Order: sequence, then structure tokens, then C-alpha cells
Amino acid sequence: MSSWRRLRMRIQRALYLPAGADREMDDEIRFHLAEETRLQSERGLSAAEAATAARRAFGSIALAKENTRAVWVSTTLEQLVQDLRIGCRILTKAPAVSATAVILIALVIGGNTTVFSIAHGIISKPAPGVHATGLTTLSWVADDGDIETHAEHRVFAHFQEQSTALQIAAADFQRVTLTHDNGSYAARIGIVSPNYFETLDVRFVKGRSFTPDEAERGTSGLVVVIGHHVWQNSFAGIHNIVGQAVAVNGQLATVVGVVDREFRGAWLAEMADLWVPLVGEFRPWLQPNRSGVAAAMFGRRAPGVSLSSAQSELTTIWAQLQRAHPELDQKVRVRLVPYSATAGGNSIISTQGNRMLAIFSVVTVLTIAIVCANVANLLIARAVVRQREMALRQSLGASRARIVRALLAEGLVLSVVAWIVACLFAWIVSRTVVRLLVPAAQSEMVTPDLTPDWTVVGYALVLALLCTIAVTLGPALRTWRQQLLPFLKVGEQSVVQARSTLSRGLVVLQLAFSVLLLTTAGLAQRSLSLQDSADVGFNTRDLLLATVNTSASADDAKGNRALVEALRERLARLPGVGGASYIPGVGRLSNRALFPVRRDRAAEPVITVDRHVASDYFSTLGVPFIAGHDFRPHDTRTRRGVIVTRQVAEDLWPGEAAIGKVLIAGPDARAVEAEVVGVVRDAFFAGRSNDTRPRYVFFASAERPGPPGETTFYIRHSGSQGALGPAVAKAFREVDARVAIASLRSLESQIAVDAAPLWMLATLLTLFAGGSLLIAAIGQYAVVAFDGRRRIREFGVRIALGASSRQLVSSVISESFRLTALGLVIGFALSVAVGTVLARVLYGVTPTDPATFASVFVLLAGASLLASYLPARRAASTDPMVVLRTE
Amino acid sequence: MVVDCLLPMARTRPKSDLLQGTLDLLILRTLQWGPQHGHGIGVALRSSSEEVLNVDHGSLYPALHRLERQGWVDAEWKLSDNNQRAKYYRITAAGRRQLALERTRWSRLSAAIAKVLGPA
Repeated sequence: MSSWRRLRMRIQRALYLPAGADREMDDEIRFHLAEETRLQSERGLSAAEAATAARRAFGSIALAKENTRAVWVSTTLEQLVQDLRIGCRILTKAPAVSATAVILIALVIGGNTTVFSIAHGIISKPAPGVHATGLTTLSWVADDGDIETHAEHRVFAHFQEQSTALQIAAADFQRVTLTHDNGSYAARIGIVSPNYFETLDVRFVKGRSFTPDEAERGTSGLVVVIGHHVWQNSFAGIHNIVGQAVAVNGQLATVVGVVDREFRGAWLAEMADLWVPLVGEFRPWLQPNRSGVAAAMFGRRAPGVSLSSAQSELTTIWAQLQRAHPELDQKVRVRLVPYSATAGGNSIISTQGNRMLAIFSVVTVLTIAIVCANVANLLIARAVVRQREMALRQSLGASRARIVRALLAEGLVLSVVAWIVACLFAWIVSRTVVRLLVPAAQSEMVTPDLTPDWTVVGYALVLALLCTIAVTLGPALRTWRQQLLPFLKVGEQSVVQARSTLSRGLVVLQLAFSVLLLTTAGLAQRSLSLQDSADVGFNTRDLLLATVNTSASADDAKGNRALVEALRERLARLPGVGGASYIPGVGRLSNRALFPVRRDRAAEPVITVDRHVASDYFSTLGVPFIAGHDFRPHDTRTRRGVIVTRQVAEDLWPGEAAIGKVLIAGPDARAVEAEVVGVVRDAFFAGRSNDTRPRYVFFASAERPGPPGETTFYIRHSGSQGALGPAVAKAFREVDARVAIASLRSLESQIAVDAAPLWMLATLLTLFAGGSLLIAAIGQYAVVAFDGRRRIREFGVRIALGASSRQLVSSVISESFRLTALGLVIGFALSVAVGTVLARVLYGVTPTDPATFASVFVLLAGASLLASYLPARRAASTDPMVVLRTE
Repeated sequence: MVVDCLLPMARTRPKSDLLQGTLDLLILRTLQWGPQHGHGIGVALRSSSEEVLNVDHGSLYPALHRLERQGWVDAEWKLSDNNQRAKYYRITAAGRRQLALERTRWSRLSAAIAKVLGPA
């Protein structure tokens, strides 16, 4: 035979082995047996005897074939495929159990993966449009642990010049007014070093980035790079966008480039619409709230430079700079951290992110352990049924390792299916969460990219493998230790195993945990809905909020005040408007800095929330004065005037008239005297909160006019909001066309936006509670089912002795309910303990709210009843004949 | 059922190289006289050992296929003496070299064992 033929045969064998080679082997053995039979009959045996003798001489045909096949095939591979096939077959044989197991594992992996995906998206991913390889963020760490992102411009210039390890770029951001042919708009601007885009590796769709000399040119010949959305929305995507003129806070500038669609800045908080070059000289028109040029820094490491060597270089440069300039803060150290969209600074995410991840991973491992224990219980309950089969297989020569491998394959099939489901789950949920987040974050930051990437899919895979091992371990150990003889000697039902204290303990733990989560979620939901329906003290409907930016129209605080007053008067004259007032700032309601006021310097402070408001604020909202009057434009008093809510007056001067009294306002160091000019009725000016008694003090914004910037107008109207919006915009334009409207919304929607994070938390909590209830119920089901299997002979005997099936069901359920009762007691005890901590943030409900506790009791008892009833029914339907026949 | 002492005792796992190699050696030696099918080899082994080595026929085939895989024998489907399709095995050049090698090793081993056991 030529070597070519041999090669071909070998390939054929490798490819067609299962079918072709088997047939060939059959032919060969058949021939052998025929030859041997012929030989034996020649020796004088009858045909039947000869055939038997031939078979005897040959030995086991199956064994010979198996061994011969093993010569050609890599056995382990074949066995693996076989194992997996068996795994699939076993799972499809008991679809209910398998589906339950898959759903459980998918739930736990999916839930954890979703949270991981979100955490990963917020904590470690780069901002959209940024290529993050080798990027690091610079932080400034003070002795007391405070972390700053910004440093002076000269520090940046020095670092940029000296560092060889890092290409350093800097950025600051600011709210401005952007004016172009179509009007004025409130915008956010990035003030960035010329190498900013290059360092972040941002793509340009039009034009170019800044050149170094543009950074030195200053205000004359100002250039801007605009975001893709500005190009599309404000310039309708015109072809010749490069070279167009715009005005930033009234300063003329030329567009030189448009960045990629995704890019909105290096940090999530940046959310820039356009960018101008960072210069060394201070530009008050651009940054009215600052006194000098400062910026946050980040750098791209040169190839082959590690984070630690870059760190040591920067430390050296910083130390030299500190020595040369004693006026620089000597206590601050520079620290490099890996770049992400939220890295640097002392935001909760950047300082606590890793700790949160650590806590999260502990929680992950715990939940996975609990769920896997449940699934393992389910599988063990089934494994008991298969004990005899396993024993039989072992006695026929299957090695223990082989059987454990089959179990492992079964677990693997389970986990892989669950993994796929979990990835889909995580993908859908994290996209939903983004949609939930967007209204809450509304223009405050770039929406992080939370959809799972390959890291997340890999994470889910690791979890799935963990689950495989955890789920298989129990049944595998059982098989490993299993004594063969008892199972072979007696029937399937006769071997009684000790009941598992561990799995019962787990069930009680899960039930208790579910109770805790359910009561907490219930309290949160009730508290929030009570808060939403509570009276805030004034009519929140028919109130329009309009935030404008006046940076482009006013030069200083005085000019700004005059402009804003003019705007207010114009608004108040609009048809259908009942009143208009304003407060400085963007009008977020949830910022509640605590502000102490005292009766005199020695007295205990009353903690209040302070607000700066224009005149007519109270009449616009519809909050009546109990005593005194509103701020008057041309007051001749020397002291500052203050208006307090009734509760504050009551706290400071119980039983006395408050008008004309003087209070000490503010923290110790900056406390000032103020004379009470009015007392208003109690109201929740910042939306409903959990304080039962709101305490507010108000100062006249006219007394301390701020620099040009944002102002939020409150407009009380009688007609529809839709008709009013354009009229308000027109009124602003008529007074000054450069006034940019940042947002128009109703007070109701502002309140809803402010409350959104709380609702989201409550919803998440409810989801978790529901999931935990499901897990606990399935856990209990598994334990009761296992028990039922174990005691099937006992049930058979009882039925044979005359027990009715109802008696059996109730006996199983009552036994199972002992677990439920224990779980409820522990859970309620925990809830009360946690509730006392929660009491401070709850509104209108006590931590032991009877309605909440009663509904949790009903819910859990119901779920538990169902979980015990199903296996109890099965136990009761035992056929005594079948069970006892095996004796 | 007679289990030959020279054969692997259990199923898949080769117990020892010596025992397995011995069966290979015997097959190769048998094939030196000319191409033969599996049954023929079994019969030849039985008769040439004067019925002492009663090889379990089933275990011949894994050994034959192993030899084929190692390239020491070739296989070909031919018609047998009584006109039936049979798979004939033939020793290759490499097989002959292997046989020579195994024979030396075997005689050295048996001589050594004989020395240890000594004259009875």
C-alpha cells in the first residue's frame, strides 16, 4: 500500500470514524467469528455450539470495539462530547427541574452581571469617543486626604515642559452663552490645552484641532471646536461649517473643527458642547466665577513607560517646582491614577469606587453561593432518584471520575444555557437602566456607556463556571462517597439519608433575608408615594420654571441685576401670567445645604435651609405671609432683611412676635445679623422632603447680586404651559436677544426629576426583594421536594395504613411551615432593627408600619405555601404498591 | 473464558508496556510468515505456542489497530481462501525493524529472568 493511500485512509479514519470505521470494524469481527465458527464445526461441533464457542473465544465484542476505537480517537475528547450529550439528555428528561435551575442561575448571574456592567461602565470605562490606552489622570492629594482635580495653569505649563514620560493635556469647563445666526443658547464649554484632542485620540469629522499658537493668541482671533450635535442642531449640518462665526459670552470666535459624534469631553461631568483653547492669562468674561486660570490634567504615557515610573518622574518635577515657588501649596502631593471617565478628584465614585466594587463582589459571591446551594439542592433531589442508576453504572465498571465528569458536564450545560440567558438579560436591563438614568441626570453629565462589553461577558462567564462547580459539587461528593452495595441490594426507595441541616438553615436564611428586603422595599415605596401625594404648602401646578444664562448680555453684577429685573417685569406683564419671580442659579430643588440660625450668639442653632429670592417670590408661589411683608426694592434699613417660615420663628422666639427681631445667620465664622421682615406659612419650597417640619430662611437676592450667569424664573400662569413657552422665549428675546434659555419646564417635572433617583432606588429595591423572594421560594421547594423523595417509603407505608392524601399534604406543609415561621420571625426582627436606622429617611410611615408588615407576611406565607404544596401533593400521590413492592 | 496472563487485564488502560509489547511482538512475529487476517493470527499464535498462549481473540484487534497506527503493519481488504472479504495485515519495513528490536530486548529479559530464578 502506498504511503499516499495510507495517509488518505488515516484522514478518512479521523473524519469518518464514528460511522465508516465502525462499519469496517464490524465487518472485521464478523469475519473473525465466521472463521472461528467454521473451524469449530470442522472439529465436530454442531452449528449452534460452534457459534457459541466462537463467541466465547472472542470475549466481549463491545469491549474489543471500544478498545479498538480508542486506538484511533483521542478518547478524552470523545468522552467529553459524550458527556455533554448525556448532560443535555438528562436535562431535557426533567425539563421542569432544568428550567428552574437555568432560571435561577440566569437570574443570579444576570443580576450580578448587570450591576457589574453598570459599575464597570461608571467606574472604569473611558468617556465615549476617547481611546484610553496609556491614559492617566493627575490628582492633587492634600495632607487631610482631600483630593483636587484642578491646579494652576503655571503648574500645568511647567509639567508639560518638563515631563518626558507623559504627554500632558489640561481642561477646565464652564457654562456659557453661545450665540450664532439662529439665536443665543446656554452651552457648556471645555477650555482645553491645544493638545487635548490629540492626547485623548479624538476623531474629527470636520476641520482640525487647535494649533499651539492659537493658545497664545488670547481673545483676538478666538477659535472654537464644536461638538457634532451642535453642528447638526444649530447649523443644520452645513457643509462649510469650518470658518463660520459664533460668539461665546459675546466674544466673536471662528469654528475650526467638529469632533466625532460620541465625544462630549474626557470626563462624564464635562458634557461640553464646544471647546476653546486654554491660555495662561485670565479671561473674566469666560470664567466669571473664578479668580485665575486652573485646570484638570491628564496625560498619555509614552510607549514603554509604566504608571509607576511616570509617577516618580512627576513627583520629582513637582518637588522641584515647590522648592522654586514657596507660595505654592507645600502640603499637596501629585498622584497618577489610571484614566476613566470618572477618575480623579474626590467624587464618591473615584475615591470609593474600588471599595464599592469590593463590597459588591462579596455580595456577588454570597448571592451566588445561596442560589447555587438552591440549585444543588434541586439536583441532589434528583440525584437521589438516580442513586441506584449511579451505583449500577459504577458496578458495571464506570470509574467514579467518569461519573463525576458526567455530572460536571450536566452542570456545565446548565451554566452555559444560563450564561447566554444572563448575558441577554444584562444587555437589556443595563440599557433600560440608562433610560431610567437619563431623566435624572438630565444635562448634568454625559450618559455613561453601560451596555456590557467583552469584559462584562467574560465576567458573566467566570460566574457561570463558578456556578457549574458549585452546583455540581454536592451531587458529585454524594456520588463519590456512595456505597454501592446497599443500592444494588435493595430497591430505589429504601436507602434513607440524613436530612440536610445546612440546606434547611440556608432556606431559613433566605426567607429571613427576603422578609427584610420586602419590608424595606415596602416602607420605601409607601414613604415615597405618601411624600408625592403630600401637600407641599402651595400649588405646584401651573408654575413654569425658565432658566436663562445672561453671561453674554451683562458685564458685571450690577448690570446683571438690572437685566434680570427687566426680564422679570417683562414676564409679569405677559397675558395669562399671574406673577413672576426668580432665584439665582439653575433651580435644582434638591440642593439643601444646611444653614444654622441663632437667636443670639450663645444660643443653640436652629438648622434651616437658606434661599436667595427676588421680590414677589412668595406671591408667585402662593405662600401667604402670616406676619410682616415681602422684601421691598428700596428698603432703607441698614441690616440685611430676612424672611423666615413659621416653624423657624416658633423655634427661635416661642410665643413671641418675630417681626423686627434680629437673628444670627450662618456658620460661626461667617455669621451675620439679619432683621426679620416677614414670616410665611410653612411650605416645602424644595419639594417634598422627609422633614415633617420644613425650616427655611430667605434673603433678598437683590442685596447680594451675583455675577452674570444662570437665573431661574418662576412664572405662575393660568393658561396652558404649551402656549406660554414660546411667549416667554419671545419676551426674553425682546428684552435682550443675547439672553440664552437653558431650560423651560414645569415645577412638577422639576420635582419629578429631583425625586427620580429616590424612585429608582425604591424600584431597584423592590426588584431585588422580588428576586430574593423567588429565590427563597424555589429554595424551599427544593428542600421539601428532596425531603419528599427521601421519605417516599414512609409515605407509601402511611398510605397503605390508611392515611388520606389530605393528611399527608398537611403534614408535609406544616413541617415546611416551621421553616417559614422561623424565617418570618428572624426577618421581622431584622426589619425592625434596620427600620430604626431607616426611620430618619422615612416620610409618613413608622418603621414598623403594620400595613407593610402584614402584606409582607401574606406575600411570603403565600409563596412559601405554594413552594411546599407542589412537592407535598406529589408525595401524597405516592402509589404504595410501587413503593412497597421493591421490598 | 480464558484470560491470558499476557494480556492487559482491564479494559482501556494499558497495564504495562512489557505485557502490551509482548502481544505486539508475537503478532509481528506471526506476520513475518506472510499477510494474515486477525483470525488467522489468533489461530497461528495458538498452534505455534502449542496451545499454551490462548489469546482472547477480542484483544487482538486493539493490538492490530495500534500496530497499524504506528505504521508497523499495513492493512488491506482482500478475499479470503473461502472467498469472503477479510482484512489482511502485512508487516512493513518499520515493523521488521521493530520486531528485531523487540526480539533482542525479549531475549535479554528472559535470559535475565532465567538467571535470577537459577537452576531449579
